[in-house]
Amino acid sequence: MDMLDDLVTLLPELILAALVLTIITTDLFLSRANKWLLTPLTVAGLVLTGAACVVVWDINETVYAGFYVVDDLSVFFKAATIVIGIISVLFAPSYLVVRRIPLGEFHMILVSALLGMFVLASSSDMITLFLGLELMTMPSYLLTGLHKTDRYSNEGALKYFLLGSFASAIVLFGISWLYGITGTTNIAEIAAALEGRMSGALLIAIGFLLVGGTFKIAAVPFHYWTPDAYQGAPTPITGFLSVGPKLGAFALLIRVFAEALAPLRADWLGIFLVLTVLTMTIGNVVALVQVNVKRMLAYSSIAHTGYIMAGLAAYANASDTDTAAQGIEAVLFYVLGYAVMNIAAFAVVGMLQRDTRRFGGLNSFAGLAARSPGRAAAMGILMLSLTGIPPTVGFFAKLYVLLAAIDAGLAWLAVILVLNAALAAFYYLRVIVYMYMRDPEPDPAPIDTSPFGSVALALSVAGVLILGLFPGAILGLLEVSAASLF
Amino acid sequence: MNSFPVISLIVFTPLLGVLLLLLVPGTNHRAIRWIALLAALGSFAISLLLLGYEIGGSEFQFREDVGWIDAFGMRYTVGVDGLSMVLVLLTTVLSAVAIFYSWEPIQKRVKEYYIAILLLMVGMLGVFVALDMFLFYVFWEVSLFPMYVIIGVWGGPRRVYATVKFVIYTLVGSLLMLVAILAVAIAHAASGQPFTFSYEALRGFAYADTLQALAFVAFFLAFAIKVPMWPFHTWLPDAHVEAPTAGSIILAGVLLKLGGYGFLRFSLPLLPDAAVSFAPIIIGLALVAIIYGGLVAMVQPDLKKLVAYSSVSHMGFVMLGAFVFNEQGLQGAIYQMVSHGVTTGALFLLVGVIYEQTHDRLIAHMGGLNARIPRYAAMFGLFTFASIGLPGLSGFIGEFLVVLGAFRYNGFVAATAMVVVIISAVYMLWMFQRVFFTVPSDWMSRFWPVLRDINRNEWIALGPLIVLVVGLGVYPGPVLEIIAAPVDRIIEAVNGAGLTGFGPLW
Repeated sequence: MDMLDDLVTLLPELILAALVLTIITTDLFLSRANKWLLTPLTVAGLVLTGAACVVVWDINETVYAGFYVVDDLSVFFKAATIVIGIISVLFAPSYLVVRRIPLGEFHMILVSALLGMFVLASSSDMITLFLGLELMTMPSYLLTGLHKTDRYSNEGALKYFLLGSFASAIVLFGISWLYGITGTTNIAEIAAALEGRMSGALLIAIGFLLVGGTFKIAAVPFHYWTPDAYQGAPTPITGFLSVGPKLGAFALLIRVFAEALAPLRADWLGIFLVLTVLTMTIGNVVALVQVNVKRMLAYSSIAHTGYIMAGLAAYANASDTDTAAQGIEAVLFYVLGYAVMNIAAFAVVGMLQRDTRRFGGLNSFAGLAARSPGRAAAMGILMLSLTGIPPTVGFFAKLYVLLAAIDAGLAWLAVILVLNAALAAFYYLRVIVYMYMRDPEPDPAPIDTSPFGSVALALSVAGVLILGLFPGAILGLLEVSAASLF
Repeated sequence: MNSFPVISLIVFTPLLGVLLLLLVPGTNHRAIRWIALLAALGSFAISLLLLGYEIGGSEFQFREDVGWIDAFGMRYTVGVDGLSMVLVLLTTVLSAVAIFYSWEPIQKRVKEYYIAILLLMVGMLGVFVALDMFLFYVFWEVSLFPMYVIIGVWGGPRRVYATVKFVIYTLVGSLLMLVAILAVAIAHAASGQPFTFSYEALRGFAYADTLQALAFVAFFLAFAIKVPMWPFHTWLPDAHVEAPTAGSIILAGVLLKLGGYGFLRFSLPLLPDAAVSFAPIIIGLALVAIIYGGLVAMVQPDLKKLVAYSSVSHMGFVMLGAFVFNEQGLQGAIYQMVSHGVTTGALFLLVGVIYEQTHDRLIAHMGGLNARIPRYAAMFGLFTFASIGLPGLSGFIGEFLVVLGAFRYNGFVAATAMVVVIISAVYMLWMFQRVFFTVPSDWMSRFWPVLRDINRNEWIALGPLIVLVVGLGVYPGPVLEIIAAPVDRIIEAVNGAGLTGFGPLW
């Protein structure tokens, strides 16, 4: 009977797996004109999965002989994953259709990636962790290369695949070292075995895990694959890639560094801080000189990775549990807020690429305020949110990280962070300058006005504003989620 | 009275206007202008209720306090004391004037323009009434972006450069201030107090010396850039030159006051030890600003730039008065803020009147205007003299009090500040002479037949400013009485803490 009880805790994963199969089969029976039905179908499935997440909230059980944990932290990650999934699914189809990219495959691959993120978030064993990681990244490679007839898409996918597999191998190697040292792959047991220990071998294990992990979140100096992969992928998919796998990778970092390696946090903090500062600064400086909005957003996503890492650094430097939890909460809030605003921002770029020859240059934004006031206003709010201006979610996310960092005694990091935010203002605001303060090009890019996209954009912007004005609603959930770690 | 949310109504009536504007089609300019004007006038009318402030009563009146983000102790707390009150009134008056004045000059993207100006009003008013430091920061940022758009969309030829410079400067300062606010709140909570951003709870707490020094520097950067103090002033002339007239009125009239207000409300009472230690430096910078601003104003060929640099000089007086830490100095600083808001607002408005007709502001291109448009010349003269500080007009009281306060601090400082009164007379009168007397330039002769004097709308816009500049000049009593209590509190805070042994940092 145990197995059956355990099944209930897997309800969200089961629904998601069923959704993958449903999409594949439904796709077979839909005529070309009716393929769009896949989008509402997928959204419905994801909403159902979201409902299932509510059911497993507050269960906090480790199931399947310690391989799988359904704690509130994992449920939070799953809920955020659902949000990402729904927005991505709504944004993508109209962009894909004009490029003759098959919708069925897109939906199915995307949902598979979501399933990988679920498994990753819930892993309480290094084996499950690696399984989830691969289940998440394999579909990501495919999504990048989904535009088969486009050279950039192919190039991006190949780079992403080669470097990504390399990183996965490095993570796996790190895991094997940890196994060699502690004799177990169970995360809780690893943590218990490492209490008060330090050795050269451990240092090697930490090194491999850190390199692999930061590779996956695209931190400097392991970020070189991102701009090409992000630029090559179909734009709305880039939005997903810039937040989905990142969210998964942060789940991995939390499970590995804040759970398995938690006893050694004083040892990995130093190098982690260096990477954090490098990531936010280099990401911003390089984004500054981009004239292609898509590429600019790709580099800026590196900078945001740095801000999120600051939350994790605050966790590691904290002297008491409350402060440490605050660091994790900051990471969770930032990841969620960033996901919503960044997917939507990429989607707006995609909407201006209705003409397939457009590459999302700054010029296509010229005079957008006159041509499409609603979309320009939405993009404006998203840019302000990415800059971190109140009252948007981007502001509150930064505030949370700052608060955690200062509380943990890393005030200098907070100062570097805000200077970076001011630097970022320069390139984010440039988009607003183009939209509001320039006249349209003589031959302006046609704008996509699909209903799904408009709905998703409205939802995202509403989310950005509501979470920015009244974040109180989810702060309680965050606290409970982060508490699962302590 | 207490249950009636006066302050929220003042702050959010413009926001109601914004929501209504969103419903009106963009082509209906008439309706848009009326809605915006009524929203601003509504806010102004409600702000008159603040005159019911009881002098000698509790410090912050008309308080409202509602929970907001409980997990971090952030609350929606607003209230006014004498200092906030005069600045709120200044804001509502000048915003209404600016909106009314924009009636004709703004013909492009009308709806967006009024939305931006009303949002700006919300931000500025919020800054003056917020008693929660987090709320204060939010309003502070909210006031930044509408101005960015106003300069960037409706401004002159180099508007994009000017506006980006304006926003980046301000943003660097304000983000550092955010870190300082968080650090102060965390330090306060670390002593076992509940975590809060309440201004009343955070002040009067003895923060560690290093924290005070660092936080003071962060606050200083945010406020000094806004004031703007030398050497952080370089964004101001650019922003002013490119901004549309109404933008300049609000920029000079109210936005610069946010910086001065920040010093008086937060830097001094919150971090008194650091304020005392840093005072000599700040007084030095203020003197440089006063003289430098005046000298640079003297050689400006552009009318608007001249007024902009005179602002640098006048705001230097505000800073000087604030950091000599005595009653006269502080009262003078506050009075000077109000007076500068009215005078400079009016001067920019008047520059706008001529610019609308000739699309040119070069002093060399003018001349002899007194003969053609005498009423305009008379009004320009009135505000020119107010700006110089002629007794009987508002500018005199503020400057006089500041110099008096400075004299009690140090005779040399007062003497240096006094010199500039002569410099300001030189650049203002010289400008006045070149614009209104002498013979008209060739350029101006072309416009000679079509030049018109101040029209009815412009009189209506100028009316309140004329009343204020004369009223504040001949009868300063009520305002000085209202700001007496806040001034005493600041002095008390500075005196009380200056003796705790926070040695000079150098």
